[in-house]
Amino acid sequence: MSFFNTLAPSSNGSCAESDATATRRPRYEVVETEGSYDLTVSLPGVAKDGLEISDEAGELTITGKRTAKLPEGLEVLHRETSDAAFKLVLTHDNTVDAGKIEAELKDGVLRLKLAKAESAKPRKISVS
Amino acid sequence: MRFIQFTQPSARSAAPAVRFGGRFGGAGIENEIDWLFGTALTGFAGTARGGQFPVDLYEDKDNTYVRAELPGANRDAINVEIVDGSLSIQASRKEKSGEGENTVSFSRLVSIPDEVQADKVSAAYENGILTVTLPRKEEAKPKKINVAVN
Repeated sequence: MSFFNTLAPSSNGSCAESDATATRRPRYEVVETEGSYDLTVSLPGVAKDGLEISDEAGELTITGKRTAKLPEGLEVLHRETSDAAFKLVLTHDNTVDAGKIEAELKDGVLRLKLAKAESAKPRKISVS
Repeated sequence: MRFIQFTQPSARSAAPAVRFGGRFGGAGIENEIDWLFGTALTGFAGTARGGQFPVDLYEDKDNTYVRAELPGANRDAINVEIVDGSLSIQASRKEKSGEGENTVSFSRLVSIPDEVQADKVSAAYENGILTVTLPRKEEAKPKKINVAVN
C-alpha cells in the first residue's frame, strides 16, 4: 500500500486556453514521512500576494501568479521563461487533514506540510 | 583469463508496471535504488539538467538585464561575475533528501551583447528570481564583480 500514489496530479487536461489564462504546471516534489506529506513546489517569481492555496473535495489547488516587474520599453533579446501563471492540482482523496496544512513561501519555493488525516495513519489494533 | 559475467538487476523485470513517480510500494530494493539515483542526479524535481536554469535577456537604451530563475538559492551562495564579455551566474541550493542534506549547484555563462560598465552592475534576488542590471557603455577588460545581493 503506498500512500504516495494517492497524492497524484489529477488529469486536468492541460489544454491551453487563451493566453491570458494560460497556466503551466510547476515543478514539484512530494516526500512522504510518517505523519505528513512534505510538498515542495518551485514557483519562481511568485510572491505571497500572488499565491493561492485551496483545498476542496479531496483536491489541493495551488495557483501562483508571477509578479513580473519589467519596466516599460524593454526589448526582449532572449527568453527562456514564460509569464504564465503556475497551477498545480493534486488529488489526495482526503488522506490529508486539510485543517492542518502548513505552508511557507520563501525565495520562490513553496513548502507545504500536509498532515495526514487520522484515518490514513496506520493504527494499532490491540487484541483483547 | 577470468571471465566474469555481471548482470544488473532490471527494475522492469523485477516488478510490475512502474507507477507515477517511479515508486511502487513493496516492489523491492531495485526500484528504490533507481529512484534514489534518479532524484540525486536530476536534483529538485528535475531542474538541474547539468546545472542549468532558465535565463531571460532584455535591454533598453540604458541597461542590459539578465533575469535568471533560481528558486530557493542560498543568498550568500549566489555568485555573479563578468568574465570576458560574458556574465557568469553561479548559485547553489541546499536540499534535504531523507536524513541528509545535499547541495545542488547551478552555473551558467550568458553572453552579454554590448560593452557594459562593470563597476556599475547591480543585482537583486527576489522571489527566487535573480535580476542583474548591466548599464551599457564602455568596458576595457574583464573584471570580477562582487555583487551584494539584497
